[in-house]
Formats: sequence, structure tokens, C-alpha cells
Amino acid sequence: MRRFREVAIAVTVAALAATGLVACGDDGGDSEAKVLKLWHYESANSAMGIAWDRAIEIFKDEHPGVEVRFERKAFEQIQQNAGMILNSSEGPDIMEYNKGNATSGLLSSQGLLADLTEEATKRGWDTALSPSLQTTARYDNGVMGSGNWYGVPNYGEYVTVYYNKELFAEHGVTVPRTLAEMAAAMDTFVAKGVTPLGMSGAEYPAGQLFYQLALSRADRAFVNNYQLYANPVDFKADPLRYGAETFAEWVRKGYVAKDSASLKAEDMGTGFISGKTPMIVSGSWWFGRFKSEISFDWDTFLFPGNTLHAGSSGNLWVVPETSKAKSLAYDFIDITMRPEIQTLIGNNGGIPVAGDPATIKDPKDRKLIEDFNRVSSQDGLAFYPDWPVPGYYDVLVSGFQGLINQSRSPEQVLDAIAKPYQDGVAEIKRD
Amino acid sequence: MAITLTPPQRVRRPADRRHRGAGRWIVLALVGAAALAMLVPFAFMLLNAFKSPADYSTNGPLSWPSEFYTTGLRTYWEQVDFPVKLWNSVLISGSVAVLAVVVSLLSAYALGVGRVRGRLWIIGLFLLANMLPQEALIYPLYHFAKEAGLYNTRLAVIIIFTVIQAAFGTYLLASVLGTFPRTLLEAAALDGAGRWRILWRVVLPNVRPTISVLLVFFFIWTWNEFLIPLVMLIDNQTQTVPVALASLQGDRLMDAPTTNAGALISLLPAILFFLIFQRTLSRGITAGADK
Repeated sequence: MRRFREVAIAVTVAALAATGLVACGDDGGDSEAKVLKLWHYESANSAMGIAWDRAIEIFKDEHPGVEVRFERKAFEQIQQNAGMILNSSEGPDIMEYNKGNATSGLLSSQGLLADLTEEATKRGWDTALSPSLQTTARYDNGVMGSGNWYGVPNYGEYVTVYYNKELFAEHGVTVPRTLAEMAAAMDTFVAKGVTPLGMSGAEYPAGQLFYQLALSRADRAFVNNYQLYANPVDFKADPLRYGAETFAEWVRKGYVAKDSASLKAEDMGTGFISGKTPMIVSGSWWFGRFKSEISFDWDTFLFPGNTLHAGSSGNLWVVPETSKAKSLAYDFIDITMRPEIQTLIGNNGGIPVAGDPATIKDPKDRKLIEDFNRVSSQDGLAFYPDWPVPGYYDVLVSGFQGLINQSRSPEQVLDAIAKPYQDGVAEIKRD
Repeated sequence: MAITLTPPQRVRRPADRRHRGAGRWIVLALVGAAALAMLVPFAFMLLNAFKSPADYSTNGPLSWPSEFYTTGLRTYWEQVDFPVKLWNSVLISGSVAVLAVVVSLLSAYALGVGRVRGRLWIIGLFLLANMLPQEALIYPLYHFAKEAGLYNTRLAVIIIFTVIQAAFGTYLLASVLGTFPRTLLEAAALDGAGRWRILWRVVLPNVRPTISVLLVFFFIWTWNEFLIPLVMLIDNQTQTVPVALASLQGDRLMDAPTTNAGALISLLPAILFFLIFQRTLSRGITAGADK
């Protein structure tokens, strides 16, 4: 019995000593950390998946003795649980996370994300990223646009026009440079019985087209009012009024099919891939898939006449406050910002944020990136219409479904989407 | 339940075979149509599981595959490390099925045979646990699991589902045992059997068919659970099959053929389980009928 007690005490003491040592290791700076737990949710064959695999290799070469524990996560899992995961001790040391107020902004205001401001200035991320890209990296009390750095984007995205070159040639249509030319081009298609513009009323494309149309009459001040709540937004005045009315006109003239009100974005995409749709207005996230699945000749052009375009930085690298290897995480972010990795993103159909288009081989890739750089350098990224308030995505979807199937007038739709916006902004301002 | 204790009602049918035929054919046609309607989604899944993404995008979900494409199946298998997920799912669903049946039987014995005061309310309360949307339970569960050090362990999911499934099992078994013939129980008691002995020797053999059905249901229900495993199991090493399937769905993009391939692989174990237990199930029923 006595012997047993001695053993028990010895074991307890040993256990305490061990945990004590581990704790000391934690306190004494994480440069000692031997493991980097890294999560992201990009598929292995996507531009980011390929580039980040290479970044992990480089990281391993430069940090011999450090084990990288990479896990590919489900988007849904991170979307639903990030708060809970980062609040526990089971979280990663660095992970990809969605940009925006409802996601990174929220977590930063809850103190779950590490402040990266010091690293951003020290390592020059603040000069590598253009101002409109920085908007989604910095949050002040959970609202993007200013304040401390809580994330670093590696890639960009924007809404552009994809077109089927063969259908354009067949119907004698050239690439439009103004909105009027765009309308004329679509008239040509309609006259020949072809619906020119692919659309999906049940998901994001309708709201984004409305926003693109509104942006054709907008300036940066409007974007700051709408997205960053600088001043109240009047939904009954231009540019939003113009956006809704033009959208309705496009539906009336048959540019957009009325039965597309219930279609999903996937249907719109496969419609374009199958070669039935001459044009779609949608995001650069389609680019890689189109490149691997389309057999005909196609390309992209910027939404004609606009200086402002829906778009933003891509998702962010964030470092959880509970990370046990913060300095390793910063090193990893720094590697992903290097030209080698950025070029890899560009060469695989992604849009690098700090890339040199001259190093991109494929002309289609180069065009996509040059267009993005033009938009980004003239401060033209206007984010997305559903960003300002939580739950606004569904409001926009139901609003513009009514416009596509012509059950509601533009005025009614504007009324319907104004109220939730104003309520939501009031809620945010009260906090 | 009705199978063992109430003999099937014998309806007097007209002796004329042809008369009986017409109605039967209509029923057969209806059942056949319903079965076909149930099989349509599976047919689509099969069709699209062997299609390349480009083929799917160009020709749509209804077309015949232009080639026999198995890369989707292989990608899914390797990408999610399927054997690990399969083991996790089997471990969790199997443990839950067995534990929940044991718990249900014990509590139903108390409520149904033991006639506890206020049993109706207790059963109602149990059922409430089953009816509450899991979204409402998830935060408290997360906090308890974290405090108990069980967050991100399979044990947490096993405990949670044992309770949830046992709530339904108790409700069902308690009402079955409520109609258990008192004479049988009294006879056993007269023979000197204690409560424990009555449960194992008299009650259990009679409700075995119901229990087998519950076992199969619990297994398949737990197998298909998504939200709670998604929240509780964050490591790839502890995740279940449905969570792995969700990893194919991206932010704005979906990969329909690979998702179909994944669904096919993920479905097979559950179907296999059902087929195997279907046999035990019918054997259980006949064993009960002999008594």
C-alpha cells in the first residue's frame, strides 16, 4: 500500500513537472514551436491549392525540424464553427478564413484573431497590397476598412464578363466598350432568338448584376456610404434606382430569360460551359473551372464603361489568438506573398494580389490579371452588394427574383431591399 | 411490436381468386410506381458518379456518360482519406445503436412495466429532447463538451446521440411495454423471478423484434447525422462520412460529379448494413412468432 502511494506521488510529480515544462515552453516565445497546424479549404487542384502546397514545401525547407500539420477543411465547417473552434484549444495555428464583417470582422471584435499590424508593416504587406485590397484585411471593432490588420489576402476576385467568342463571331458581335454598346450587342442576339445574358435568380448573380449596373453611375463616395456606412444611402435615387430600373429594362427587352428567376448559379455556369449562353456577368471564381471544362474559344472583358466593379480581396490568412506558433504562422504568410507563390497563383487561373502580369504565360490568365490590376490600381473594387448587413443576401435574392419574373416593379424591389438595409445598419451603428 | 403480441387480423376474403386479383394489381402498380420514384435520385447519382466534370457541365445531369470516368471516385477516396472516416462512422453509429438500445430498454422497462408515477410526463419530456432542433442544442452541447474536455472527441458525439436516440427509443418501447400482458409478468413473479430476471428472461425475448428495428434505425440515423458531428469533430482524424462529403462543396463552386461519386461511396456502407441486418430482423420476427 505504502509502495503504491509512493509510486502515485512520483507519477503525479512527474506529470506536474511535464505540464510545467510545456507551459514554460509556451511562455518563452513561440520561436521554439515545433509544429505548425495549418488549415484551409481550397480544393487541391485550384490555383490557391496548388500555390499553397508549394508554399508549405518552401516553409518546410526553411524551417527544418518544424512539422507542418496541414488539414483540408470543409468550407461549411469553417463557416459554421470558426468561432467555436478558435475559442477552444483544438484550433489551428494559422487558417484561411472568409473576409468581411460577418466573419473575420466578428471574430476580430471578439478577440479571437491575432493583431497582425506590426508584422504587416515590418514585412511590407502593407505596401504590397493596394488600398482597396487592404479594406478587407483591416477591421475596426469588427467593421472593415480601417483599424488593425487581422488578416492577409493572397488573391483577389472581381466580377467580370465572360463571353463565348464563337457565338460572338457567328452573330457578328464585337466586344462592347460602353454600356450602350453592350445593349446594342444584346439586341443583336435577341433579334436572332438567342438570350444573350446567362442569369441565376436564386443565387448571387442577380444581385451582382444589379450592383454592377448601379456602379456604372456611382463613385467611391457611394461605395463608402453603402459598404462602410459613411452616410445614409437613398435607395430611391441614383445609382441604386438606375441599377434596378436598368435591370428591369434588360429583363423586358429579353436580355435575361424570365425563367432564370429560379436558376442556381451552377445552372448559369453550366449554361455557359455548354456553349448555349453568349455572355455571363460573374466572378473570377469561375475562371479555373471554365478553363478546364470549356472546349470552345472564350475570354473575358471588364463590365463595359465601369470604373467601379464588384470585387474584393480573396479570403484571408488569419492567425488565431490561441495559436501556439504565431511567429511560424507569420513566416508562412510571408512566404505566400513572395513572387514565386504569387506567380503560381496567377499561372493556375487565380488572381495574385502582388503579382507581375509579365510573368504569367497564358494570355487568358494574363488578361484576367491585368484587368484586375487596372481595377485595383484605380481603387475600383466596390465589394459585393450583400456585404453591408447580416442576412442581406437572401433579401437581395428574393428582391431580384421578383424583378426577373416581372412580378414586382423596380420601385417595389427598391423598397423591399431598403428596409432591411436601413434596419441592419442601425443595428450595427448602435453596437 | 404488434407483430409479436397481437396476432395478425384475419380478414375474410372472398374465395374467388380473380376478384381478389384486380385490387391486388392496382396496389402492386402503386407500390411499383412509388418504388420507382424512390429509386430515381439513386439512378441520377449513379449516372453522374461516373461522369467527368466537363461532361457534366456540357451535357447536363440527364445525359448518358460519354466515358466511364472513375477519377471522381478515386479523388474522393484519397482526398478525404475515406477508410479513416468510415471507421469513425462505424464506431460512432455502432456504439450509439447498441448503447441507445440498452438505455431505451432499461428506461422503458421502468416506465412501461414499472408504472412510474407521472410516466406520461416523463415520456413527453423525453420526446421533447428528440423534437428540439439540433441548432438549439448545439451551443450548450459545445460548452459542456469543452468543459468536460470532450470537444473534438468521438466520445462526445457517442454520448450525445445515445441520449437523443434513447429518448425516442424510450418513448417507443415504453408504449410497447405498456401493453405487455400483466399475466405473463405475474406468472414470472410467482415463479420467483426478480425484476432483473423478468427483464432479461421474459420481457426482452418478447420485444426483441422491436429492439432489432430500433438498432437498425439508430445506426442509420446516427450514420446520416451532420450538424452535431460537424461542430463537435473538427479534426480530420475524427470526422465522419457525411462531414467528409461536405468538404467537396466549396464557397461558390460545386463539383457535382465528385459529390455524386462521394455520395455513392458514402451510401454503400449504410445500405450494406441494412441488407445484413434485414436478415437478422426477419429472423427476429419469426423467433418471436414461435413463442
